[in-house]
Amino acid sequence: MQPASIAAEIALDAVEKSFGNTPVIPPLSATLGAGEFTVVLGPSGCGKSTLLNMIAGLEPVSAGRIRIDGQEVQDWEPKDRGCAMVFQNYALYPHMTVAENIGYALKVAGIARAERQQRVEGAARVVQLGDLLDRRPGQLSGGQRQRVAIARAIVREPRVLLFDEPLSNLDAKLRHGMRMELSHLHRRIGATSVFVTHDQVEAMTLADKVLILNEGRIEQFGTPHEIYHFPASLFVAGFIGAPAMNLIEVEGDGTALRLPDGTALAGSAHRGRAVLGIRPEKLRIAEDGLPATIVYREDLGSHAVLVVRLGSGQEINVSTPLGGDTVAADQLSLHLPEAHVHLFDPASGQRLNVTQGQVR
Amino acid sequence: MIENTKSLDRTANVILAVGVLYILFPLVITLVTATQSFESFLQNGFSFIPGTYLLENIQIVWETTQLPRQLLNSIIVATMVALIKCGIAFTTAFAIVYFRIRYGGILFGMVLVTNLMPLDLRFITTYQVAANIMMPVNALLDFFGITYIVQTLTGYRMNFQVSVLNTYFGLAAPLLANGTGTFLFRQYFRTLPADLSKAARMDGAGPMRFLWDILIPLSRANFAALFVLMFLGGWTSYLWPLVAASTPEMQTAVVGLARLSPGDPGQIPHYPAIMTGALMVSVIPLAMIALMQRHIVRGLTLTEK
Ligand SMILES: Nc1ncnc2c1ncn2[C@@H]1O[C@H](COP(=O)(O)OP(=O)(O)OP(=O)(O)O)[C@@H](O)[C@H]1O
Ligand SMILES: [Mg+2]
Repeated sequence: MQPASIAAEIALDAVEKSFGNTPVIPPLSATLGAGEFTVVLGPSGCGKSTLLNMIAGLEPVSAGRIRIDGQEVQDWEPKDRGCAMVFQNYALYPHMTVAENIGYALKVAGIARAERQQRVEGAARVVQLGDLLDRRPGQLSGGQRQRVAIARAIVREPRVLLFDEPLSNLDAKLRHGMRMELSHLHRRIGATSVFVTHDQVEAMTLADKVLILNEGRIEQFGTPHEIYHFPASLFVAGFIGAPAMNLIEVEGDGTALRLPDGTALAGSAHRGRAVLGIRPEKLRIAEDGLPATIVYREDLGSHAVLVVRLGSGQEINVSTPLGGDTVAADQLSLHLPEAHVHLFDPASGQRLNVTQGQVR
Repeated sequence: MIENTKSLDRTANVILAVGVLYILFPLVITLVTATQSFESFLQNGFSFIPGTYLLENIQIVWETTQLPRQLLNSIIVATMVALIKCGIAFTTAFAIVYFRIRYGGILFGMVLVTNLMPLDLRFITTYQVAANIMMPVNALLDFFGITYIVQTLTGYRMNFQVSVLNTYFGLAAPLLANGTGTFLFRQYFRTLPADLSKAARMDGAGPMRFLWDILIPLSRANFAALFVLMFLGGWTSYLWPLVAASTPEMQTAVVGLARLSPGDPGQIPHYPAIMTGALMVSVIPLAMIALMQRHIVRGLTLTEK
């Protein structure tokens, strides 16, 4: 199969969806670049599948416009939109062989048998299914089934590839392998891809751009790097990263950010209440810093995660390289590098410090 | 079983054996009597020793009674019931499950309610309607005054008369009216992954294409099960065919079988012939069950492995 030069931009323009009187997606606008791999990430029930189904045409929009390659498609049938979809539980036709499953769309489109067979074999080769074409889905493993589903999607050479949690039925090891394959596949095929997941590892590793959805609203739309290092809101900060970012309520007096008991955590010109965020791996163990008591330690081999209690009683996570001189001690003192401190508004959850200088 | 002791096994086997005997006893009597001549039956009464007159008895039934013709009637009626029922049940379930119908739940409820109103309950009304299927139309025309208007305008009094008594349609139609099949298909469709229809839509298949290429092939076992159940229902129903068909030529085999015993109470019935008739009436449904057994079980368990 040749790389498709047909990748199309998807523009969502104030797209809205409600089921009956329940609004699921308030007006949402975003542009997914041609040929990009966009991952839609969010907690369960936030409307990821609904958004994907609206792009596919399986679910009508309540309001707004969807443009694919500049054409307004929100009123088109799925088959006319040039999208193909891979479903979470494969959705293969159980009574058809692998070859028939892959070729069904071509058959419906009335493509001659010879060409059909050639294209089915081509698609099967891309996902390394060549010798299983005569089997039925029931005789395949989960990973093989998902490959069939992917082959079925790419056989029509779609402008847009849609994935709805395609890896979540696979075990961890297989998932890693399929992730790599999907990444390679995307580079080969080049179709604009939208990939829905609630697994942040999938999002960080696969995405060109991550769209974080919360209750139907876009929390942040950016590269994995931006999402991780400049979370736009408290929601994103808490959602991305494992162990999660430490979030501490502080009060700024114009020179420093202080705990309620007055202990200074980091220097800042901020005045008023705020939520301070810092990732566990960015905390430094220093000679004369913030005193903390180790409550619990988890040795993960490559590194250790410590749960420590601050003077105010709040517990936070600290990631340290294994074998640091703190491991045996009960007490340690912490330093919060200013460049890695994130500040959020406690009421709106929006990011307060917008300095771009604090990369890495 | 949790416990696996010998004595328990033996007890279970004995209970099973008793049950089997209990069920088989009348069948054995039927079978054995059908092989005896009328003379030996008159001398010995019912016995357990098979005779050699089965073929002769079949000949008697075949040549002197209406049963062959009535068997044909039964086949036609039961097949009509089964086929039409499969068609209606499949399409209604398809509509209920795969389309967002307003009031779909209420409609399905009404379909199910038909099961609470068996034919025996609405017997007389059914008969009235069968005697003139235009009756409801006449009533409606009356109710809205159309009959009156037409009569005053043209002098013609509308009163349509179409009877389906004594027709195959009249025999089959009332037996069709229940929701079991719709329920069966609906439950089966709901066990299928919801994404299947979405995948078909993405592949460009419209509703009819989805029905034809995917749903029907997947429902084969359910069709077989429903067909057999409805065929048996049509074959064994007695009361409705008894009143809906007034001539022996239109009666079904089960009704005809009951008519084999003589009306005259003083006469000793030709039991061997009657039992032979009973065998002949049972052979077709038996053969059907034997052939379709596997599908019936699969079609009724609702879950695919
Ligand atoms: N057909 C429907 N009718 C009514 N509500 C629906 C329907 N489909 C989805 N919803 C609601 O819309 C919301 C979003 O559903 P959606 O399936 O898009 O979530 P999701 O983000 O894909 O979740 P998950 O990660 O669990 O798949 C949910 O609250 C769900 O209850
Ligand atoms: Mg979903």
